[in-house]
Amino acid sequence: MMSPWAGIRRAVVAFDHWVRDPVDPRPLAWFRSWLGLLSLVNLWLLWPDMPMWLGDDGVLPAAVHRDLVGGTRISIFMITGSSDAAIGIIRGLGIAGGLGLWLGIFPRCAAFCAWLAAVSYAYRNMDILHSGDNLIRIGSFFLMFARTGGVFSLPQSVRRWFFPQASSDSQPPGGLVPAWPQRILQVQLCILYLVAGIWKATGPTWRNGSAVGLVLQLGEFQRFPIPDFFLTPVMSQVMTYGTLAFELGFPLLVWIPSMRIPVLLAGLAFHAGLDWVMNVQMFQWLITAYYLLWLKPASSSPASFAPRSAPACSVRPAR
Amino acid sequence: MKTPLSSTVTPPAALLQGILRRWPTILVVGYALAAFSWTMPASLFPPKPVIDGVAEGPLLLLGLWQSWDMFSPDPRTIDICVELRCTNRDGTIDRRMLSDMVAMGYYERWQKDRWRKYFNDHLRLDDEHALWQPFAEYAARRLREEGHDPTAIELVRWWRPCDPAIRPDLRADVRQTPWQSHVFHRWGVPREWGR
Repeated sequence: MMSPWAGIRRAVVAFDHWVRDPVDPRPLAWFRSWLGLLSLVNLWLLWPDMPMWLGDDGVLPAAVHRDLVGGTRISIFMITGSSDAAIGIIRGLGIAGGLGLWLGIFPRCAAFCAWLAAVSYAYRNMDILHSGDNLIRIGSFFLMFARTGGVFSLPQSVRRWFFPQASSDSQPPGGLVPAWPQRILQVQLCILYLVAGIWKATGPTWRNGSAVGLVLQLGEFQRFPIPDFFLTPVMSQVMTYGTLAFELGFPLLVWIPSMRIPVLLAGLAFHAGLDWVMNVQMFQWLITAYYLLWLKPASSSPASFAPRSAPACSVRPAR
Repeated sequence: MKTPLSSTVTPPAALLQGILRRWPTILVVGYALAAFSWTMPASLFPPKPVIDGVAEGPLLLLGLWQSWDMFSPDPRTIDICVELRCTNRDGTIDRRMLSDMVAMGYYERWQKDRWRKYFNDHLRLDDEHALWQPFAEYAARRLREEGHDPTAIELVRWWRPCDPAIRPDLRADVRQTPWQSHVFHRWGVPREWGR
């Protein structure tokens, strides 16, 4: 029988390989593309209110803002100062970043643009942020270091359409890439669920099963109608304990290959349900981007918008 | 099999090489620890002050700070709404509910989710009184642009307790249960202000 130390050592070595062994870039490319599209939707929703939230003539003048925010943070305001020009720059960066990530156009530059836009509006008014903003900032930051350029990329696809011979002669995009940006984002998703579950488990209403029922009664979060069947103490207990079980179980079960797809599907159903009943702007959508990082691509499926002559890459079975 | 080079490497140098070779793993573990500590309740994670002290600078600088505590440790048990009340020079009173989400259409309440965050979760709180006067002045500017002549701006918080019982009819009860209100900020707009 293996000693505990040997078990720990084996786990550490396996984790080290999991982080350092190169991976198929497609999950990262899917993540990049979906995150980019959703960041554009996020920008679209924020757009009309940006002067109010971020402008000098808005609800939070620069003098008041300076007193509220501590610490040094990178933002476009470091260059523009407290100027309304920053709003235009944030909009431009957000569009360039979102489009670039979505379509794979200079994706690492696009990630920088999306990240700079996100940290800038987050810095200027932290009281308007939702959890989805966290996911955009963190995701785009680590995408700056991720190599996904040739995969799921519009320029690459266009090149292949027009120059099929050239593309088949060259190295096909989608060779293995460093894994750590993907790994850090996968771990981030586990931390998100684990911490959310721990926080909830400390609350009396989560422990007595009434929390979800109470949330569903709050008018400010109501969205689409739900059947009366769900608005009973019994169903509140089912949904409350189900939420706790999912959030605390996900970070453990998702590591087990045979459980991964069922857990991800349960998560999709969970967030789709939340998005239906609760008016929380983008979080339920953005978190699905992080799910894509856990998918194992089929080794011969196309990695681009366009048909191709060569297989995308050869991939070892996911650990 | 050892190479001639490896046989000459001293243990500290080998250790350093191993660490350098494993920088991605160290980065992932370090980030995970920092993010976990940053988001955990202080009461449940004793090393939090130490780890946060180290991680705070990079997390804030790079925009990697985060929190995952929505509806935690318990969801609110009151419904909340913030009203802007403007008294005009001709004596008329203009009332605007800023975060009455149920009164909005589906798209509007989705688009204005940040209004709920700002007004219900921050502006209404006594702890965030620094936001009150800047908002009153912002409102006065906007109202003047619309052709009003405000002499007083009032910010009103409305709330109603949610019934602890969970029944279908209570979800639709937002308009029936009595709401209570309190004027938490009042500003007499000077006639010459901003002109």
